[in-house]
Amino acid sequence: MRPAAEVSMNLRRFVAVFPLLILAAPALLADAPGVYAIVGGTVHPVSGPAIENGVVIIRDGLIEAVGKNDLALPHDATPIDAKGAHIYPGLIDAQTSLGFSAPAPRRGFGGGGGGGGARRTEDTPEPSPDTLAIRNAKISDDDADARRATGVTTIITAPAAGIFNGQSVALNLGGGPIESRVIKSPAALQLSFNPRPAWTYPDSLMGVISYIRQTLLDAQQYSAARTVYERNPSGLRRPADNPSLEALQPALNRALPVVFIADSEEMIRRAQRIAAEFNIKYVISGAREAYAFADELKNVPLLVSVKWPVAPTDKDDREDQPLRMIRFRQLAPTTPSVLAKAGATFALVSGAGKTGDFLPGIRKAIRNGLTEDDALRATTLTPARIFGFDRQLGSLERGKIANVVVSDKPLFDDNAKVTHVFVDGREVRLPKEEKKAAESPASPIDGTWNLTVRATQGSVSIIVTLRNENGQLSGTYSGDRGSGDVRGGTYSDGSFEFTISAAAQNEAETTDWVFRGILGGDAVTGTVTTTLGTFEFSGSKSK
Amino acid sequence: MRKAAVIFALLALPLFAQERVVLIKNATILTITNGTIENGSVLIRGSKIAAVGKNIAEPANAQVIDAGGKFVMPGIIDTHSHTAVEGSVNEISLPNTGMVRISDVLTADDISAYRQLAGGTTTALVLHGSANAIGGQSQIVKWKWGHPISEWPVEGAPRTIKFALGENPKSANFRPPEGQPRQYPATRMGVEEVIRKSFTDARDYLAAWDEYEAKRKRNEAAIPPRRDLLMETMADILRGNIDVHSHCYRSDEIMMLLNLSDELGFKIRELQHVLEGYKVAKEIAAHGSSGGTFIDWWGYKAEAYDAIPYNVALMVRSGVLTSVNSDSDELARHLNHDAAKSMKYGGLKEDEALRLCTINGAKQLRLDDRIGSIEVGKDADLAIWTGHPLSVYSRVETTMIEGEVVFDRQRDLQQRAAMKKEKEERLKKEADEAKKDGKGKKDA
Repeated sequence: MRPAAEVSMNLRRFVAVFPLLILAAPALLADAPGVYAIVGGTVHPVSGPAIENGVVIIRDGLIEAVGKNDLALPHDATPIDAKGAHIYPGLIDAQTSLGFSAPAPRRGFGGGGGGGGARRTEDTPEPSPDTLAIRNAKISDDDADARRATGVTTIITAPAAGIFNGQSVALNLGGGPIESRVIKSPAALQLSFNPRPAWTYPDSLMGVISYIRQTLLDAQQYSAARTVYERNPSGLRRPADNPSLEALQPALNRALPVVFIADSEEMIRRAQRIAAEFNIKYVISGAREAYAFADELKNVPLLVSVKWPVAPTDKDDREDQPLRMIRFRQLAPTTPSVLAKAGATFALVSGAGKTGDFLPGIRKAIRNGLTEDDALRATTLTPARIFGFDRQLGSLERGKIANVVVSDKPLFDDNAKVTHVFVDGREVRLPKEEKKAAESPASPIDGTWNLTVRATQGSVSIIVTLRNENGQLSGTYSGDRGSGDVRGGTYSDGSFEFTISAAAQNEAETTDWVFRGILGGDAVTGTVTTTLGTFEFSGSKSK
Repeated sequence: MRKAAVIFALLALPLFAQERVVLIKNATILTITNGTIENGSVLIRGSKIAAVGKNIAEPANAQVIDAGGKFVMPGIIDTHSHTAVEGSVNEISLPNTGMVRISDVLTADDISAYRQLAGGTTTALVLHGSANAIGGQSQIVKWKWGHPISEWPVEGAPRTIKFALGENPKSANFRPPEGQPRQYPATRMGVEEVIRKSFTDARDYLAAWDEYEAKRKRNEAAIPPRRDLLMETMADILRGNIDVHSHCYRSDEIMMLLNLSDELGFKIRELQHVLEGYKVAKEIAAHGSSGGTFIDWWGYKAEAYDAIPYNVALMVRSGVLTSVNSDSDELARHLNHDAAKSMKYGGLKEDEALRLCTINGAKQLRLDDRIGSIEVGKDADLAIWTGHPLSVYSRVETTMIEGEVVFDRQRDLQQRAAMKKEKEERLKKEADEAKKDGKGKKDA
């Protein structure tokens, strides 16, 4: 019963895909969606109250029935004993960049040279409004396995790089070709306030805002020009075609929501000003400072990142921080509960966080006052509603897509373990614990590094703690120029790149310092690009 | 019904709300524009100064501040600041970045704004940096610490833009990394060309729009031109809707800009830094421009070699509207000192010195009908000083913006203790949680 499209796959494509199929096969227990009866656990339909000793029946990829354990079980169903366990709709993580790597480090130091035009220095081209995530996402089995182990069966993903990040896709984390797993494409147009490297417009936050405004104005003009031309082309010069500006039309017509990545109160307000200026339907993602003005956000769908700010590891650094930063990192995890009390519409997302941080992040929000029910809603039905696929997903109801998760304890308990995951009605094997550990071997760049930057004003000491996960570097920094999270980190074959927000000596403003270096044993060397010029740095690993 | 009640409440609010009435009495009032009043009073109603003088009757409902032995001065105005900007103050990437706006990236989190209030500074022109010949659009703000950032820009204030001449816009101090080509322009000639070209382009841009509008009037089919934010900005400068504040050092480049702007048909509102202004002071005055400068910075880079501390006095004596400004967070906390130094360097009179950091800046910002002096009808932006503000031994006790106390030394001392306590408690809470987590992990 293979779908016709797969049968007619031409030979060449089959040969290309064949090794992948072999690799993918062990992750999937069954090829075709079967019939399952999950019996005896506590069913959390989300759309209604929990059902003790309940049953969920799955057939052909859909939910056939949800109810008490007195339903007649279909004779052809594979029974799954869920006594004492908990059954949920699969979680939806509505903000990820799964399947997209950060731009590769530039070759050599200080950029790869000019070349006129856009003077783009990254090897990976920056996405544009017409970049479709569905065409570019490369989600490895390990990535999908790791997500599913946390109960996530649907993600929304888009590249994190660039300003116009392209059009995101909502995707089931099952098997089969990516097209068959799409829930919605495009799900949204995504926009980030990411300045480009120095000397490439726009290289400042204010430049990014101007760039976004100009691009949206250009899209308006593009549409106006086409309308005039198409009415009667005679005697008019033909307007140039532009797929990027074309791709912005659904956003300007309110047919497609725009997701703005904005974390702080002021970034959220900046996004809101742009949305108001261009009458755009929008969603705010990040939003960790939403606790500060929740009452004003009641009518704005929010995707709250549960990658909560962390304290610097060093005690002196912690104590040197201004109260404002300490307050932020302690109050940010109260954002979900504050929003719930204000009656706002919000989902919880992993955002820029790592896969393994999602459930712990949600648990921290619960410790900070969010109810478990609200947490569940914020990871199921609410994101489905925000992106307009709540008729298909987000709850356990007859006729919905059979994304179902079983866990041995309530899912948000500290030691809960996901035992069964169904995606599109197929049971998916979960990674074993040993495999998870083996997945991320220590990388030579992992660890704490003491760096010295030789700036013209004198030496600057910065301590960074880095961790490499599939070529993406994350971590924290502290020292002479403040402390915080490392951004835009990449690592490959001994060369690395990352960015910090370096505070000026007066602590008031920060500017980006982009580190690019190479690794040699326990030493690193390279250059730092700042708005004041490029300096050399060197460093050694902290034992 | 409920809606009606809300509307009624809104209408009634101004009638019933207690209007602020504050009387500052027994003080030495430095009015700036009308001399000094010994043992005088300032009456504030709402956000405005309602009366100034020797014998002001105390209104029954007034909050009274007895400022016996103290001095009252208008809030200091700093016409060159980069405080409260999030991200880089420079969009470096292009020789003309007139489309970017400081107003988009102001932040209410910058503690320097509060520290400036502690030095009696209440208003500032927050400028784009000087990395390019034409930088971004600047913003006039009041340091309304504690208010959302949307309330900081001065409503109705003129729009402004930053130009820059000399070493910075030719990338002498902002060099791209090795391997990346140097950005045009690399000479002072190039800086001039960038500015001239920007405005000839703007004329072409306006002509294209005029042509389009004309066709539309004749009901001819026409494709609308692109709306270009950079060209719109240039056009608004030509229309006189945006005031130009230009960074400059040397007399040759100052003369270049004055001549060029005369040729292009707009005025330079204020020459910023203008360290060699004394050499061409008469020409600056003739152009109708003004100067905002440092009192005693010299020799700190090649283009500052001819700077002298007498620059302020020489410009003032030549009829140039002159102010002292900060360029930085720290100096903005004691611009009164810089004003005072003009009495030592060049012998300005006391009232002339005081104007350097008050009414002269207000005139440069074209806000002298609202700020810069203590006059009836002006905004109640005031600072109460322990002694004469031109003395290094004086400090600010209280600063008000539009009648609201935005800094008060006694309140600050109390807050310091409370914040110290809060910080200790928060750090302790964090340490306790970390300990518990660590223990939990070990047990598991």
